[in-house]
Amino acid sequence: MNNPSAWKKFFAHLRTWLIGPRWQTALIETVRTLGAIVIAYLIAFVIIALVSDDPQNAIRWFVLGPLSSSAERGEVLKNATPLLFAGIGACLIIRGGHFNMFTEGAFYAGGLIAALAAIYFDLPPALAITVPLLCGMAGSMIVGFLPAKLKTAYGVNEFVSSIMFNFIVLWVGVWLISNVVIDVSSGDNATRPIPDPSRLPILVRDTNVTVGILIAVAVALLAHLYLNRTKWGFAVRMSGDNPHFARHIGIPVAKAGTHSQVIGIGIAGLGGGVEILSNYRRFNWKTLPGYGFDGFMVAIMAKNKPLMVPYAALFIGYLRSGADLMAFNSDVAQEVVQIIQGLILILVASEAFFSSSWLRNRIGALKFRKKPDESGSEVADHV
Amino acid sequence: MTVPILRMQGICKSFGPGIIAADDVTFSVNRGEIHALAGENGAGKTTLMKILYGLEKAQRGEIFLHDRRITINSPKDAMSHGIGMVHQHFMLVDELTVAENVVLGIEPRRAGLFDRKAAEHLVRSLSERYDMPVEPTARAADLNVATKQKVEILKVLARNAELIILDEPTAVLTPQETKRFFEQLKTLRDLGKTIVIITHKLPEIKAICDRITILRKGRTIGTYFVSDISESEISRKMIGTEPPPERFPQADSAGLPRLSVRHIWCFGPHGKAALKDMSFDLRGGEMLGVIGVEGNGQRELVGVLTGKIVPDHGNVILNEGILPSSLSSIRKEGVSFIPEDRMNDGVDLDASIEENVTALLRQNRDHLVGPFFKSRKLSVSGRRLTEGFDVRMGSLRDSIRHLSGGNMQKVVCAREIDACGTVLIADQPTRGVDVGSLRTIHDQMEALRAAGKGILLISSDLQEIRALCRRAIILHQGTIAAEIDDLSACSEEELGLYMLGIKRQEPVSPEVAHE
Repeated sequence: MNNPSAWKKFFAHLRTWLIGPRWQTALIETVRTLGAIVIAYLIAFVIIALVSDDPQNAIRWFVLGPLSSSAERGEVLKNATPLLFAGIGACLIIRGGHFNMFTEGAFYAGGLIAALAAIYFDLPPALAITVPLLCGMAGSMIVGFLPAKLKTAYGVNEFVSSIMFNFIVLWVGVWLISNVVIDVSSGDNATRPIPDPSRLPILVRDTNVTVGILIAVAVALLAHLYLNRTKWGFAVRMSGDNPHFARHIGIPVAKAGTHSQVIGIGIAGLGGGVEILSNYRRFNWKTLPGYGFDGFMVAIMAKNKPLMVPYAALFIGYLRSGADLMAFNSDVAQEVVQIIQGLILILVASEAFFSSSWLRNRIGALKFRKKPDESGSEVADHV
Repeated sequence: MTVPILRMQGICKSFGPGIIAADDVTFSVNRGEIHALAGENGAGKTTLMKILYGLEKAQRGEIFLHDRRITINSPKDAMSHGIGMVHQHFMLVDELTVAENVVLGIEPRRAGLFDRKAAEHLVRSLSERYDMPVEPTARAADLNVATKQKVEILKVLARNAELIILDEPTAVLTPQETKRFFEQLKTLRDLGKTIVIITHKLPEIKAICDRITILRKGRTIGTYFVSDISESEISRKMIGTEPPPERFPQADSAGLPRLSVRHIWCFGPHGKAALKDMSFDLRGGEMLGVIGVEGNGQRELVGVLTGKIVPDHGNVILNEGILPSSLSSIRKEGVSFIPEDRMNDGVDLDASIEENVTALLRQNRDHLVGPFFKSRKLSVSGRRLTEGFDVRMGSLRDSIRHLSGGNMQKVVCAREIDACGTVLIADQPTRGVDVGSLRTIHDQMEALRAAGKGILLISSDLQEIRALCRRAIILHQGTIAAEIDDLSACSEEELGLYMLGIKRQEPVSPEVAHE
């Protein structure tokens, strides 16, 4: 690198990269998302100011509360973990061009199956965690295959059928924990306690953060590799972006669609297992956990990019923690946060808001203001 | 003395860095003239007109109408200033009638309800005044291409346009239709309308335009009176070098039949036969042209050859076997396919240039380790293909969305020609592509033919087929109206008569008759 021409080349590369459309798109999308968040928060503040007698206190808990102590910060991570799994699952499903809501049922099924496997299989300590998690994942994938296959083979709308499957799974599960695997001594419709060796170890002392979050981040990385570096992920993306083109280059579109849905559902199922083995003594869910639906929100915020999901999940986790703290420490109801989440989603998802061509025009105009000898002649060659 | 009705000055537009579509462009049009806006694809013609029509926003520059400065933010603004545009791809609602399409958005009302009578009356009076006969009650779906174009122009006229922009209007017309169309344009001009034609077809510029403005790489080269400038001068100014020499197809080194279509029948959804008893052979080392007005069975023929449509009768023999039923297995036989609809079938607009150009290689074992891509090898291949086809771009990793139409088509052709093992089916491979790109694509197709592959060239551009093919079949209403063994011995007028079904060749081939 001592060679001056090598440096020159390096800077030329850096420059094309910096002013290239890719970087511009990333910048625009980040600005858009941040802008949406800021506006949504401003609106939230107005609402809080209207409903609260002491808005200052409420806003302080809402905004700064989640960051105030290590226990609170841990709570943010704990809240973010299931959202991460659900978000990555939703990413894969959406990228394949589908809208399969069975991530919700998969969370339930994954949790239930993982709990049952931990309780009823007599597992050696070394396998006490992995086997239940894998069982939960595999179980939810098997169930999730049905709505996925119904869509790709018969054109049954996966949105509707997957929501129906959610309820089938829920009520089968409730029936099981009320009649078959019920532990009467718990005083609840719940399973027997999950044995200690199967519980995920705590990662940060004095918090509820378990190694689950590491698994989640690893899954995000793997999902990124899968989508961008493998032929399967390529098939999934092309089928999702433009099925006509995918068919044209010989990709079996239906197969790729099933593929992506089942894998996305498996990740959600894994998330259910991690959630149960991290935070619950017994499996006692009698409603759907809601994480599957949240996953789609997270995925949309992350623009369906697995590597962006952790940020989106952390943000939603932070928002949830703040809402809990505000509800606990002030006179503002927790429902307010649902309004804020709705606002953010609307703002982030709406393409009209800060439409990219609007911003691109501003950025493009900046370039023309430069003196011609700086960029003019060289850039024009690319046209 | 003529005064400019419209003047665009210092227009700058970039689609992100490195992709400059207009760089200080100046353009002015006089009242009552037909003005050609010429240049290669990616020269910025369409972008300039889209700026004028409010579809794109210029980053800098001013627009003057009758010497008054105006701002145009949307097509609605443009319309209110009397500027109308007819796009290359028609924008008609198939389900509606001609009259409904024309007044869409400016519906005449009576008592708050749509006044169909008034709409039909408006269309009738417009079509009489401007000599463009159209039946106002016909459904848009039932119209042929030339009529659809008339409806588009009526749509613009109904909005009181004084200045009409036409984007590549003759790309879809037969020679006869083009002639008729030009007469109509002259009528429009004589009635005081001003017309801008975006085009790169030199004979048409000479035939009809009064003045010409030439753009190259986003810059104005100059404005000239058409009578003062020769075709070769225009061409030189457009591409910056000498025009391509006219090519004469060599005698085909006829090889073995690669693709044989035998008595294919196809019935459409209403039981109407789209292909009727069609038979022909495509041999290795030959380029067989398929001539015909669009909608005479080309789409169905391509559909059969790509496994999209199963013929109701007859069969296709590919490399001595029956044609497989799915496109992926047809591709495994070494067939590749340049699709007609570039935006839908040809590319994934959300993916990068590299991903698009290597989309087929990505399913190939050479570029994979297990399921993983060999990233470096892919980018080497991507660079080889884009350089071989002279794709003008910023970086391989950029989204293909930012490329101009001609460059995008070069990406598609690079991918398909590279993957071609035995047969290439090229469906309108150069539609809407500039002279420079066209030349690159033609050279590569010719090289492929010389390497012994069979190429089926379906094109609505007669010049293209005449330049590349020696043998051609002419389709009319799903049948082969004529099979021409030596195109150079057949005049354009005669081809036109076959295309329109006025003349037919008697089936002479004994093989077809008796088999």
